Parts: sequence; C-alpha cells; structure tokens
Amino acid sequence: METMNNYNGVILIVDLEAQECTTEDLDEELIEKALGGAAINMALYEQYRDRDPLILGTGFFTATFMPAGCAGVMTAKSPVTGSIGHVPFGWQTGVEFKLTGFDFVVILGKAQNPVRLWLHDGLSDIDDSEDIWGQDVWQSTDKIRETYGDDMIQILLIGKAGENKVSLAQVSENYWGSKDKFGFGAVFGEKNLKAVAMRGLGALEVAEGFFQKCIELQNEIKGGAIAGKAGLKDIAADLGIDAAVIEKIQGLTHRNDAGYNCAYPYYTYLKYRESPDTMAMDGNAEPGCLVSDLSGFAGLQAAGLDPAEAMEQCCRLGLEPAGAGRQLKAQGSSDIAGLDQLATSGSCEGLATWPLENSNEAAIAGITKAFSTAVPPKAPFAQDSGADGWVQRQALAYTLGIDPVIMLMATEITEEKLVELIQLSAEWDEFSADDLKRITSELVQRSA
Amino acid sequence: MDLKVDSLKCTGCRICEFACNYHHDDSISPIGASLMFYQEEKKNYYGMMVKREKSLYLGRPEGEQVLLPGEQIEGASASAKPILLRIACDHCEEEENGPVCIQVCPYGVLSMEGE
Repeated sequence: METMNNYNGVILIVDLEAQECTTEDLDEELIEKALGGAAINMALYEQYRDRDPLILGTGFFTATFMPAGCAGVMTAKSPVTGSIGHVPFGWQTGVEFKLTGFDFVVILGKAQNPVRLWLHDGLSDIDDSEDIWGQDVWQSTDKIRETYGDDMIQILLIGKAGENKVSLAQVSENYWGSKDKFGFGAVFGEKNLKAVAMRGLGALEVAEGFFQKCIELQNEIKGGAIAGKAGLKDIAADLGIDAAVIEKIQGLTHRNDAGYNCAYPYYTYLKYRESPDTMAMDGNAEPGCLVSDLSGFAGLQAAGLDPAEAMEQCCRLGLEPAGAGRQLKAQGSSDIAGLDQLATSGSCEGLATWPLENSNEAAIAGITKAFSTAVPPKAPFAQDSGADGWVQRQALAYTLGIDPVIMLMATEITEEKLVELIQLSAEWDEFSADDLKRITSELVQRSA
Repeated sequence: MDLKVDSLKCTGCRICEFACNYHHDDSISPIGASLMFYQEEKKNYYGMMVKREKSLYLGRPEGEQVLLPGEQIEGASASAKPILLRIACDHCEEEENGPVCIQVCPYGVLSMEGE
C-alpha cells in the first residue's frame, strides 16, 4: 500500500485477553471520510464497540510541521460522564506515538495480569507489568525508562488511583498528569493496563511546500496576540483567575515549557524544593512539578492545600486534581493526605469545572461533553467565540492533532488555512471547508 | 560561522531537531538531525547539543561548552549519546533562507555567530 503523507498507514489492534497484536492498513478511504484523530477514533470505537475499546489515535497533522501539531487523542467510554470522551495527549507524547510507526491503536478487552504496551520502531510488545504495579507514576516512569534503556521514552500511564479504578483517576503523560478529566485512568485500570510506553525513531513524509507554508503560519501566530506572553500565569490573568493563584504560580516559576512546535509555552515548571532561579543540573533530584492544568491548580488552592505540592501528589497518584480539590473542599479538609484517600476510594461527581464567572462552560456542556474540560472554556488572548466556536475549535484540534489550548488562542489558524494545508498534504484538490465542517459536525454528533 | 544556542530562551518544543532532519533527508524524524535536545525531565533541566565538524557544542542552561574529540560529556544522560554518530551541522548553506532550525524556532533560541 502506498502511504499517504503525514501518516504511517498502520492501525495496531491489541487484544489484551488473547495477548496478541495484529496490524491493519489505514485506508485512504477512511482518512478521506474522517481525516484523523478523534474522528477516526470514533469510527474505530464503533467498529469494536462490543469489546470495550480504548482507542489511541494521532491527528492528520500530528508530528508534522503544522504549528502546535503535537496532539494525539484517546477515546473511550468515560466512567465520569457515562458517554464517549476524547482526551488529548500532547507535549511530546503525541509526536512520539506517531513516530513509533502506528497511527492508531485499538486496545480491546482486559489482561489477566498487569501489563504494559511497549510501542517502538514499528513493533508492539505486551509486557508483564507486575514490576511496577503498585508503584506511583513517578516511580513507574523511572522504572520503564530504565528497563527499556532510554530516558526519552514517552509514556501514558496510571498510578494508584487508576489501579484502584476510581473515577477520579487520570492517565498521566510521563510524570505530569494530563488533560484527562474523564476518568480514563480507571479505564486503564479496568484493563490491567499500567502503561503505554512509546519510543519512535520512524520517519514520516510530508508534501513538498508544506514546510514553508507551516513556517509562514507559525510566524503569523507568534506575531499575533500571544506575542510577549508566556506560561500559565499570563493565561490565568487573561481568563480572570483568582489573583492569589497567579501570585503563587509567579513566585515559583522556574521555566515555561512548550509542546512540540508550540509557539506558546503553557507548561510551567514550579520549583519549591530549591530556588526557582536554580538552573544547574546538580541539586535536588525532584525539585518541583510541571503544571499545565490551571483549573486543577486553582481547585487545589481553593481547597486550602499548598497547590504546587498537592499537584505533585496528584501527579504521583494519577489523580485528577480539579475533582480532587472539589471533593476535599466539600469535606472541609485541607490535609494533603486526603488525596491518598481519594486515590483509594474517591469518586468523581461530574466533570470538573473552572473557577470563572461568565464562562461558556454550561453552554458548552449543552452541546457536548466529549472534549476535555482541562482546556479553558474561553479563548485566552482572543475574542470569545462562544460555546459553538469553542466546540468547533476543539473538534478541529482533536481531528487534526493540534494542541487544543493553542487552537483556542491562535486564531491565525483559520479554517481556510487548514483546508489549504489538507489539500496540499493529501493532494485532494476538491477538499473544501464544507468537508471539514461535515467531519467535525459528525464527530460532535457521534460522540454524544 | 557556527550555530549558537541561547538555552535560557528554549522551551523544549524540539521543532529545530525535526527541521534539521528534514533539511538532511526530507523526512520528519528526530534521528538524523545535527542538533539534539537532551533533558533531565524531573528537574526540568534541558539544553541543546550541536554536532559540529570537529567538536560538540553544548548549549546548557548554565552556559555554553565546546567539547573536542575524546572529551567526556559530563552529566549528559543516555539520551544524549547518539549525537556523536550524527552528521555535522552544515549551516544549511544551500538553503535560500538560511539555517532551517533558526527559521522554525518560535523563541529565537538559535543564531549564527563568528566568521
């Protein structure tokens, strides 16, 4: 089969019950129909619906030169909402996933004993995971990297909360939590799946001229409304988050990090076990925590905990921080040990919300609950386009593999430019804005 | 002229590595690049290495360092080792708009310096 630009052309089917991996071709017909990401995930979910599928997918532009083209998407039935949820995974994990040689992975059934999936160089192994079952996310990440001998391995994994199958459980990206607000940590736990470890040394083809067009678009983005801004604190200030939260972030900020090819760095590393100004490699081995979940951070602060240290504890436990903060606040507890209790027996009461007035959250939930609420409910640094606009931008991001936060703030990524880049990549001269709209509308409808 | 890294401006987005690989062999991958991101993730410590013709340049948060053949990379983890096998930076001499890594970096981390 001739492989299309931007894709490897391979779907991996993992049967945990039979402990078998098989591959299928990713047909161009399916890409024409759904492009990629959450839209193809949905098609695969429906195909394997009877076998409790968890789908991992990459978007049409994931791991290409598309600005912010860093996202993969997990799709499954959410224990929190009872319906389909799509969780974006980014930073470096989405890119690493595509470079393993697989575009989509369908994980079926449940393993008898704890296992992890090891994807590398076009190969897939279902490896025993008794060695790290019971260990926290940080210990498990270290152990997996040590076992496979590479500290650039990217990992989606669970901690204690996921192993205990509590609906507050979150799948983590390496050490640092994720945008999982749907309890997919419990989905991993139900499957006895401790981790998906990925190392990709593969190669993708892109269309001639694509590189230059992406540079032009990135230049527009970085010269736009985000110019001169960085980190979680500037997003928090723009959204109108409580000043005490901003002050806390500002006081502990070490550096702001970006996902693959993202022109806005919204992952903020907070240092609290040594001076935030420390740049040397020696010193404390675990000096702080990388934070990207603003609503989680604010939720833990609202519960009266030290939000930085509590975020670290949530990351270690694989616990969704906004829901955890809400539960502790309701209990009147500001004891960090309460997080451990939640990872043992806590449950999530609906999707976590943002501490914002006049946001679009209720209106968005009225349209769909399929997209992660880790993403701000209104666009930072950009004119608010309302709930319909938010949903459309997220549907585009989840289908095309673009970071969903950057997709909100970078209005320079217009639908017209996306159509042009899709036409160029796939050599589909007839592909139109109507086709793009049809695909995103169907994604929203089918995810209900 | 040599490529220079202002490590403190870097956010670890890694597009420079992928652009460099594209310059060398027209595909998307990090493995054929002349420059390489390395990190100690839990400490959020990271920098860039550049394979030069006769040396290895390290753009670290603490400052720059140039290593000559036979000198050890202190503190670099296993992920940093493959840089020694890479093709040296050719400064993208045939690229119309100059080095591709400089073109793609959203943060102005990279520049050319010297004669």
